Amino acid sequence: MDRLDLKAYAGLFKTYTELRVQENRTIQISFVKGSNTVNVRSATSGVSARAYHNGSWGFASSPELTQDAIVAVIKQATENALFLDSRERREKGPLPVSVVSSENDFSTKKQRLGQKELVGFVRQIDDEIARRYPKLASRTVILRCLDMEKTLLTSDGSYSHSMIPRSQIHILLSVEKDGAPVELMDSYGGLGQFEDVFESPSSLWEGIERQYEHLMKKSEGVFAEAGVKTCVLDAELAGILAHEAIGHTCEADLVMGGSVAGDWIGKEVASPLVTLVDFANTALGQTCPVPVYVDDEGTRAEDVVIIEKGVLKSFLHNKESARHFGAEPKGNARAFLFSDEPLIRMRNTAILPGTSKLEDMIASVDDGYYLIKPSNGQADLTSEFMFGVTLGYEIKGGKLRRAIKDTTISGVAFDMLKTVSMVSNEMKWLSHGMCGKKQNIPVGMGGPAIKCRVTIGGR
Amino acid sequence: MNDPRKAAEYGVDALLKAGADKAQCHLTRIEKHELNVISGEMSLLRTTFDTHIRLIAIKDGKKGSTTINKSDPDSVKRGAAEALAIAQASVPDEANDMAEGQPAARFVSGSESPDRDNMYYRMKELLETIRERYPALLLLQAFLDFTREDTYVVNSNGVDFSALKGVYHCTAVFSAKEDGKVSSFNGTSVAMRDLRTPLIECGSIDRLMLETTEQIHTRPVPGKFTGDVIIAPDCLGDMLAFLDDSIRDRALISGTSVYKDSLNQLIASPLLSLHARPVSDEICDGYFITSDGYSAQNSTIVDRGFLRTFLLSLYGSRKTGKTRAVNDGGAYVVDPGETPLDEMVKSVDRGLLLVRFSGGNPNENGDFSGVAKNSYFIENGQVKYPISETMISGNLAECYRNVRAVSRERVNYGYAVFPWVAVSGVTISGK
Repeated sequence: MDRLDLKAYAGLFKTYTELRVQENRTIQISFVKGSNTVNVRSATSGVSARAYHNGSWGFASSPELTQDAIVAVIKQATENALFLDSRERREKGPLPVSVVSSENDFSTKKQRLGQKELVGFVRQIDDEIARRYPKLASRTVILRCLDMEKTLLTSDGSYSHSMIPRSQIHILLSVEKDGAPVELMDSYGGLGQFEDVFESPSSLWEGIERQYEHLMKKSEGVFAEAGVKTCVLDAELAGILAHEAIGHTCEADLVMGGSVAGDWIGKEVASPLVTLVDFANTALGQTCPVPVYVDDEGTRAEDVVIIEKGVLKSFLHNKESARHFGAEPKGNARAFLFSDEPLIRMRNTAILPGTSKLEDMIASVDDGYYLIKPSNGQADLTSEFMFGVTLGYEIKGGKLRRAIKDTTISGVAFDMLKTVSMVSNEMKWLSHGMCGKKQNIPVGMGGPAIKCRVTIGGR
Repeated sequence: MNDPRKAAEYGVDALLKAGADKAQCHLTRIEKHELNVISGEMSLLRTTFDTHIRLIAIKDGKKGSTTINKSDPDSVKRGAAEALAIAQASVPDEANDMAEGQPAARFVSGSESPDRDNMYYRMKELLETIRERYPALLLLQAFLDFTREDTYVVNSNGVDFSALKGVYHCTAVFSAKEDGKVSSFNGTSVAMRDLRTPLIECGSIDRLMLETTEQIHTRPVPGKFTGDVIIAPDCLGDMLAFLDDSIRDRALISGTSVYKDSLNQLIASPLLSLHARPVSDEICDGYFITSDGYSAQNSTIVDRGFLRTFLLSLYGSRKTGKTRAVNDGGAYVVDPGETPLDEMVKSVDRGLLLVRFSGGNPNENGDFSGVAKNSYFIENGQVKYPISETMISGNLAECYRNVRAVSRERVNYGYAVFPWVAVSGVTISGK
C-alpha cells in the first residue's frame, strides 16, 4: 500500500477526529480431494474518518485514496456527527486524550513467493496426504493469508503505521465409518507472512500424522455421557474459554448491556489458580499471535489484567467507555476493514500457566474427559458458554481410554472457574481465531490446560 | 471510472487482452447509510461507499480470480493481470467454465436512496416504544441501515446483467435486567423495502423483546429425557444450515455429504417443504444474479420431504456430473403447515420451545449438541418457564425426518420466511 501523508489533512479536523487509511490483502488456495477448487487473491483498501461531537459520532469511508476522497470523508464524518448532535443533544464531554507514535511492520524480509509457488506448496501437502493415508475418504487443504496494513492519525496527535500479517493452513481429514463420514480439522501457522511461517511442506508432516492418528481413534469413538463431569480442558479449549466466556462478559459495552461481570469488580469470581490477561502484543517474553501496539483510536495498547488470582480486576474499554467508568483506555478499540468503525475488542486473551503437569492432571481424574480441540464457541451476558469439541478422550481411572465423537461443553463460566483445581505449566496459543461482533476481527486465544467441572453434551 | 458498466466491460477486455480464454467481471457499488444505537443511545451515523470488483480468468482450463475495490483503469488492468497470473499458477481442471450467454437484462428492487429523516424517526420511535413497553430491556446495540447495491456482471460469453437493489436492514441485540439479575442476550435482524411499518412490528423484534424480559428468571430443565422440540422461526435457519451445507460443492465434491445419493429421495417428513426464492415478492433482500453469472431463479429444494435439487455451482456441477442449481441458495421459505402454534404447544407432553440454539457446528453426519438459549420448558401442553443450563442433542438428518407438525403462522424476515417446526426424539438434559 502506498504510504500517504495523513498529517497534511490534520488542518481539516473540526472536532475530535480519527483518520485511517487501511488495506486488507488476502490469499486463499484450496484443494478438495486433489481438485484446486479455490485460487483467489483480494485487496480491499480505502480511507475512513470518524468524528466526535458532544457525544455523537459520525463516520464516513471511501475506497478511493485520492486527495478529494480523503477531504470528502473527513467532511462527511464531521457532518454526520453534527447532524446527530443537532437531534440527540447528548452533551457528553471530551474523550480521554492519548498521544502516541508507533511503527510496527511484520512484513517478511524474505523474497515473496508467487502464486505458482504457493499453489505448488499446498498441492504438495495434498498429494502427500493422499499418498500417506489411502484410508481417507476425503481431504481438504486450505491456505489463508491475511495482511492488515493501517495508517492512523488522530486530532490528538497520535500517529501509527502497522502491518500485521497472518498465514494459516487448515487441513480437514475425513474417513468413512459404517457409511457415515467422521472428520477432524486442524490448523497450522499464525503471525507472519507465508514465507516467515511455513518453511516447507515437510514441516507439517509431524502434525498431520498426529491429526490422522487422532482421526482414526475418533472414527472408533463413542458418544460422551451427557452430564456434569470432571474434565481436563487442553490449552486450545482454555483459550477459547478465556476469550468467549470471560473476555466478552468483561467488554465494557457488554457490561453496559447488563453483563453479570458488571457488579463483580473486586470480587472473587474464579479459583485463586486463575489469572486471565488480555495481552496487547507480548506475553511471557514472546510476541502474541495478534500484536496490537496502538489501537484504532490512537491509544497505546497495554495489557489488561481481567482476573488476578481469582479476583475480577478490570474491563476492556474504548475511550468513551473508559470515560464512562472512570478507567484508563488500554488499546482495545479495533476495526477490521477500512469501512468499519472501531469497536471494543479483545486482542490476545489467555489464562496464565500454573505449576501442574498435564500427565498428572489426567492421572488425577477417575471418571471424566480430556478435551483437546474446539470448533466454535459462544458466550452470553450471563457468562453461560458453549464450545463445540471435535477431539477428546474418556479418562477412566486416570488413564486415557476411547476417543469421543463430536460434542459440546457448556456451563456458567464464573461458576465453572471456581471449580478449577489444577492448571498446567505449559502455555499454547490458538492463532487462527476470528471473533464476530458486528465485524469479524483476528484474535489470539491461549492458555495452559485446566482441570475443572463442566457440563458435557452427549447421548 | 465513474460508469460502473464501462468499468465492468473494461475488466473483461483487460482480462482478454492479458491472455484469458474466457473472462468475467462482477462489479458491485455499495452505498450504506447506517444509524447506530449503542448501549441504548443513538450515537453514531455512518455513511460508507465501497466497490467490489471480482475479475475471473480461465486460461488453458486453469482458473484464477482476484477481487479489488478500485475501478480506475490502472487498478482494473493490474487486477486483470493478477487474475491471469493466478490462473496460470493454478491446476488445469475440465470443470472450470463460465456462464454461457443469456439475454441481457436489468433488475430493479427497492428504493434508490434512503429516507434519512424517516430512518431517524423510526429508530427514535423504537427506542421510545422499548422504554414504554419493556422498561427492563437493555438495548446493547441496534442499527438501521439503507444499503444500495448497483451490480454489473459481464463476461466473454455474452452475459450482460445489471441489478439495482435498495433495502433497509434493522438489527437489534438486547438483554433484560432487573434487581441485579440479567437475562441471556438475544438478537434478530430484518430486511425491509421501506419504512412504512414501525420497527418493533417487523420480523420477530417485538416477540423476542417481550420474551427476553420474561427470561430474567430462569431454571434448568429437570433431569434428562427424550422429548419434542418446537423450533421457533428465529432458530430454524440454524437447524436448516446442515442441509444447506450438505448439498453444496464442498460436501458433494469431497463425497462426504450424507445426501450425496439422495436426490429425489425422501429425506424429511412430508410436512416439510423448503424453497429458495431469491426473486420472489415475499423476499425483499434476495438477489437477481448468481455468483456464477446466471439469472437467478426460484427453486424448491425439499418438496414434501423429497430432496429435489442440490445447490451446486457451475464448477460443482461439472465436477460431480450433477445438475447446476438455478440459484445460490439462501432466501429460504418454508411452507406453512396446518397446525396453529397453540395446538402445537398443546400436543407436547414434555419438551422445549427452542428460540435460540448455541451449539457446536454439526458434524458431516448431522450429529449436534448445544445449549437451548432464550427457550422455554413445555410440560403437559403448556409453556411452563424460561430455561437456562439446558443442553439438547440429536442428529439433524433424523430431526428433518422427525418433523411432526409445522405451524400455520410464519415470520417474514425479509431474507427468509419461516414457521415454527415441531420435531420429536431430541435428547434434552438439564440438571
